[in-house]
Amino acid sequence: MVGSPHASSAPSFRFMTPKIALVDARPERARQLLETLAGAGFQNVALATSGPDLVDRLAALKPDIVVMDMALPDRDALEGVRNIAAASAGPIVMFADADDPALVEEAIGAGVISYNLSGVSSRDMKAILASAIALYRRNSKVEAELAAAHGALDERRVIERAKAALMAKHKLTEPQAYRQLRTRAMNESRKIADVAAEIAGDSRKAP
Amino acid sequence: MTVTTAEPLRLGLLRLTDSAPAIVAHELGYFADEGIEVRLSVEPSWANVADKLAHRALEAAVMLPPLVFAIALGLRGRAEPLVVPYCVSQGGDAIVARTDFAAKIASGPDKARAFVAALRAQPDPTLGVVHDHSTHSLLLRYWLASAGAVAGRDYRLIVTPPAQTVEALESGRILGFCAGAPWGEVARRAGVGETVATSDDVWRSAPEKCLAARRSFAQSRPERLAALMRALYRAAAFCEARDNAPYVASLLARATYLDLDSHAILASLPGGTQAGARPRFFAGAATFPWRSHGLWFLGQMRRWGLVPEETDAAALVASVYRPDLYRSALGGVGAAAPDGDMKIEGAHAEAWTLPAGTGAIPMGPDTFCDGALFDPARA
Repeated sequence: MVGSPHASSAPSFRFMTPKIALVDARPERARQLLETLAGAGFQNVALATSGPDLVDRLAALKPDIVVMDMALPDRDALEGVRNIAAASAGPIVMFADADDPALVEEAIGAGVISYNLSGVSSRDMKAILASAIALYRRNSKVEAELAAAHGALDERRVIERAKAALMAKHKLTEPQAYRQLRTRAMNESRKIADVAAEIAGDSRKAP
Repeated sequence: MTVTTAEPLRLGLLRLTDSAPAIVAHELGYFADEGIEVRLSVEPSWANVADKLAHRALEAAVMLPPLVFAIALGLRGRAEPLVVPYCVSQGGDAIVARTDFAAKIASGPDKARAFVAALRAQPDPTLGVVHDHSTHSLLLRYWLASAGAVAGRDYRLIVTPPAQTVEALESGRILGFCAGAPWGEVARRAGVGETVATSDDVWRSAPEKCLAARRSFAQSRPERLAALMRALYRAAAFCEARDNAPYVASLLARATYLDLDSHAILASLPGGTQAGARPRFFAGAATFPWRSHGLWFLGQMRRWGLVPEETDAAALVASVYRPDLYRSALGGVGAAAPDGDMKIEGAHAEAWTLPAGTGAIPMGPDTFCDGALFDPARA
């Protein structure tokens, strides 16, 4: 998520000309959606039909938003959503005719960020896409923070294991063990966590 | 790296040496290795742990077996069904006398008799235990009763949470207390008390802390409970290794945990100077939840009127103590597990060997101070 076009650009500017990929709409529904999007000021829309290479084509297209339209999303369709969500770096907005809460929940679980009933007005469309982008950015930020926090936690545990191993092996106090880790990291120009992982390596699965 | 999205498992514990396996499993990432996120909750007293279990603010806790029964029976506050699938420690309690009182206790082989004699010479003798429904209360009552003194008749028993024992001793509110390590050593270092007896003087290999989990949690998330037990078991082996004691002491000493001098804690770890008052974490099937232990505790609770006379001990122990969960969680990691769920307690004055399908288990002596035999089949 870090390094996606949304993260670095000014939001208002990007929002004026987002590139939209419209997926899976039947011709009649696609025309309607294109009109609604145009009415909301979104002109840059590419059509993409589903198929085995959809994920690759979307990757080449690099859309800012993926809009999916399906009368009744089924399990296969949601599996497709899951694949797109895993590969893309932008929000997925879905329009469907069914609003069964279980289905909505499954769609969100698959990676849809905004689930809407078909037939929205241009005015609503503008708000839906704006909030989808905002929500997506916030989620990305939370995910990145969570990943960083977990990384730090893992590092801390490795350092604890290394301290325990050094204290047991060389009869050191805890501050001595930590100093030894730090000194070695400095001398070898490595991160403390890396040195610690090497020391803890042997005892990682112990006892 | 997997980002765990499940709610963290909340595990309660107190500022005690036998919280070591839980703290080690957390800090060394053994819980993470088992795929669970655990949030340790350091509580000020057993009453807090009991309330949080009963009101479902904790999924599990390092617990006192008698208090588990009290919660399950609804004897204190809200009733909540609990299970004990695993034990955390054996021994480690110290019976501590205020320094001036300790000086009046005659030395000799019969420590209980000497203690009671000195106790009888005091006006309104008062002793502290960490909770009414604690192993400490039952062991202290048992020990003093073996020399003829009964709580309520010959001495007063009041509740002093572990971390308040030293202050209570210093202020003169109590003549002595029974509490878990390291509080006996803390009292000695503060110059206010002296350890005159330990768990081993009452019942050698006495079961001490157990792992208690809410039954609804155990039923809805059995895989998480099993993961918790495996991580604790791995940490128990770590804590039992003498070479690891200095690290464990420094870890427990931190402000977020016991917030005490690490040397006071080291004394109650393997190789430490507090002989007899050192919890045992691993050897001798220390982690196995023997149903005979549960029956002994309930029998003692009934003896002192702490549970209603009509309590069906066999049924209660069968629903709370769950060696079946122990075997299914730890069978895969090569843990030694006894074949039976019960044994006769008090029959071994020396170390002995328990034959088991998982390999013979070396066991420690398990005699009581009064030489009693506890046969669970007759309980």
